[in-house]
Amino acid sequence: MTWRIALQLALSGLSVGSIYAIVALSLAIPFKASRILNFAQGELVALGAYIGLVLTSYGLPYAAMVPATLVIAAVFGVLLERAFIRPIVGAPEFTLVIATFAIGLIIRALIRIHWQDNTFFLPAPYAGPALAVGPLRVNPAYLVIIGSTAVLVGLLVLFFRRTRLGKAMRAVSFNQTAARLMGISVGTVFGSAWALSAAIGALAGLLLAPVIGINPEIGHLIVKALIAAVIGGFGSLGGAVFGGLLLGLLETYSGALFGAAFKEIVPFGILIAFLLARPQGLWGATQVRV
Amino acid sequence: MSLLALDAVSVSFGGIAAVRGVTIRVEAGEIHGLIGPNGAGKTSLINAITGIVRTKGGTITFGDREITALPPDVISGRGIGRTFQHVELFREETVLDNVLTGLYSHHVYGVAAAIVGFGPMRRIEDEARREAVTLLDAFDLASFAAAPVRDLPFGIQKRVDLARALAVRPRLLLLDEPISGMSEAEADAAVATIRKLARQRDITLFVVEHNMRVMMRLAEHITVMHQGTVLAEGTPAEIRDDPTVVDAYLGEEDHNA
Amino acid sequence: MRLSHAVIAIVAALALALPALGSSYQIYLAELVLINIVAAIGLNLLTGNCGQISLCHASLMAIGAYTTALLTTRLSITYAVALPAGVAVTTLLGASLGYPARRLSGLYLALVTLGFLEVVSIAIEEFPDVTGGVRGLSLAKPDLVGWPLKAGALYYFVLAVTALSIRVGVSLQRSRYGRAFNAVRQSVIVAQALAIPPGRIKLLAFSIAAAFAGLAGGLFTAVVGFIDPTEFDISASLRQITFIAVGGLGSVLGSIIGATVLTLLPEALRGVKEYSDVVYGAILLGALVLTPKGIVGVLAMSFGRGDGKARLP
Repeated sequence: MTWRIALQLALSGLSVGSIYAIVALSLAIPFKASRILNFAQGELVALGAYIGLVLTSYGLPYAAMVPATLVIAAVFGVLLERAFIRPIVGAPEFTLVIATFAIGLIIRALIRIHWQDNTFFLPAPYAGPALAVGPLRVNPAYLVIIGSTAVLVGLLVLFFRRTRLGKAMRAVSFNQTAARLMGISVGTVFGSAWALSAAIGALAGLLLAPVIGINPEIGHLIVKALIAAVIGGFGSLGGAVFGGLLLGLLETYSGALFGAAFKEIVPFGILIAFLLARPQGLWGATQVRV
Repeated sequence: MSLLALDAVSVSFGGIAAVRGVTIRVEAGEIHGLIGPNGAGKTSLINAITGIVRTKGGTITFGDREITALPPDVISGRGIGRTFQHVELFREETVLDNVLTGLYSHHVYGVAAAIVGFGPMRRIEDEARREAVTLLDAFDLASFAAAPVRDLPFGIQKRVDLARALAVRPRLLLLDEPISGMSEAEADAAVATIRKLARQRDITLFVVEHNMRVMMRLAEHITVMHQGTVLAEGTPAEIRDDPTVVDAYLGEEDHNA
Repeated sequence: MRLSHAVIAIVAALALALPALGSSYQIYLAELVLINIVAAIGLNLLTGNCGQISLCHASLMAIGAYTTALLTTRLSITYAVALPAGVAVTTLLGASLGYPARRLSGLYLALVTLGFLEVVSIAIEEFPDVTGGVRGLSLAKPDLVGWPLKAGALYYFVLAVTALSIRVGVSLQRSRYGRAFNAVRQSVIVAQALAIPPGRIKLLAFSIAAAFAGLAGGLFTAVVGFIDPTEFDISASLRQITFIAVGGLGSVLGSIIGATVLTLLPEALRGVKEYSDVVYGAILLGALVLTPKGIVGVLAMSFGRGDGKARLP
């Protein structure tokens, strides 16, 4: 493998890894706040892309469509939290796991009813033929995806460190009772966490849409995001990003080196290995063993 | 040879030493008390004995075999039973089913028999049921046999917990705060039941309590723990007169006397 | 007790008389209900009684289906041998989940089962010569040691196997293993204090669930004659979870009721087939949030049984 191909693959791997990272982040935020893993997150990613599709079809220019989509997704996230998540917060683990799956099933079915199984492409101003950057041929969409992820991570760091809401979220995820006693409105924090998570998920959908197209099955990539979260550790936002990027790179390289079938298996090999040897991931804090 | 021997046992949680170098001997047939203020390390020690928690150092020997790093279910199987401070019964199940579950290791048949249903399973289940009913009778619980546990008063639940623990047929029974949450009258009845238990069933009891008054009436030999170590050992009379114990307990005595 | 005996007698009579009374489509539908009952009983023992979350039950059913199908079509082994062989293979593979179950629980165990589901899907796709890949596998209706199983005979066979499965399910649940399952679900620490080995019990639960799933899968090949791998995906697993959540967790009767009602429901909604998943999802969500004890719990309360459980006599 020449270094040129290696670099080319790295770019591709980082790009797909960035998507995994974003979705893993969107899983980690509500998990930290309310200890609920949203198995419907993949459907929220798909929903974001479909919302973008609808807004674009109404003639909204790209620059306006993106923020509008994120806002609509955030509102949806809050509604979801109020209607379905709030009632089950204290429930047994079985309920917590299955309820969000059920929500995902409903959303996916509704999408299917309206748009069937067709694949749409969302036109984006940056989508185009590969650019020549030095000796490499670079798909501009990859650059946008990687760049957006970097910006997102930067914004989130600022959000959690500098803003009141961000700090409140950290307090609640650390110790809910203490946070409540300090006057933090846990309900507002929950709602905000889910709004943020839905918006980030929608962003992933918008980034994917021009590249692989939208259909009801894109929600499936939540499985990869889950693997990324297991690698990094569910409590860790940085871990989610690292896990996503690492997974993307490993997947891409193993596909190039060993073939497509191997590429499919590698993520699950990693998942099983981590769950058996180190279920809390690289940076997860909580004791997970029975 | 003591029935239960703890030698320099230490237990740590994330850097905090809950138990430090504790050595205790429990002799067969006695009612041995473990007392200490809250935070003395009693619960950690019990958890170490039952295998729920790993020891950082020291050994625990039951009979002539070491049990230090064994899994909790193996330790129970060797003959150590326990009750729980907060009862921990199977709330949605009946009293009878709770006790029957305790008989799991004593009325044994294989999965094949369980699949077939009639024959060996029927016969052994009947035996188990008879033993369970006998246990219920011993604790005046027969009338509650079909009642789901969640509906029962706390005092009755404590008796069910005890019956279930005995179903395991232990040689050593660890009682974790058996009197806590009880009224004065209930406590007196419980003390009488426990003493009778030890006499009639030839069981060694290791009782954890923080209530000095109750311990004095119940135990024949007492170990006092304080801040993770053994402070004193002896008969109730010796302990009562021990100045170090009085010191550590000065506040507690006044509250509980 | 008299009422429930009467109900069972009526249901049994109807079940036995169906080939004479119903159309061939209705018989086919009944066979699907019976297959789902078998699968649900296994899942309920694992999840409802033993408390282990499994998202891959449908995959195990697929393994049973493919194994039985391949043995009959490719190796010309008689169905009478292929069916138990399918059960055996599925049980072994399902038992492999017992190993991670020893050390993980709840969410993390759910992820392992999800991984298992995905790996099975990939395996099906990546070996199309064996499995027919995404296009599925079709096979002729089997015969039972030379005796062709068609129409009525197949139905009675499936009915007999289902009745046997119900019997085994009830027996297991009432056995010391059923009590051990319930103990492990409620508190691993208490179970250990009662000398119950949690790791081995979970392994047993996963194996039993896999056996039922494998059996259901093997019956599926005989009844349907075609295996479409997309029918054994996560949605299918969720549908099976819906059966037991709605019917009643931890109850064989709940498995029967849930599987029956929810297999027949999409048929009732046949005019609006696309809404099937929406309705399933909504029912599942509703069951989780509103009726934790399922239909069986509702029945038990209306008929006044103190411990909130409806029992098969």
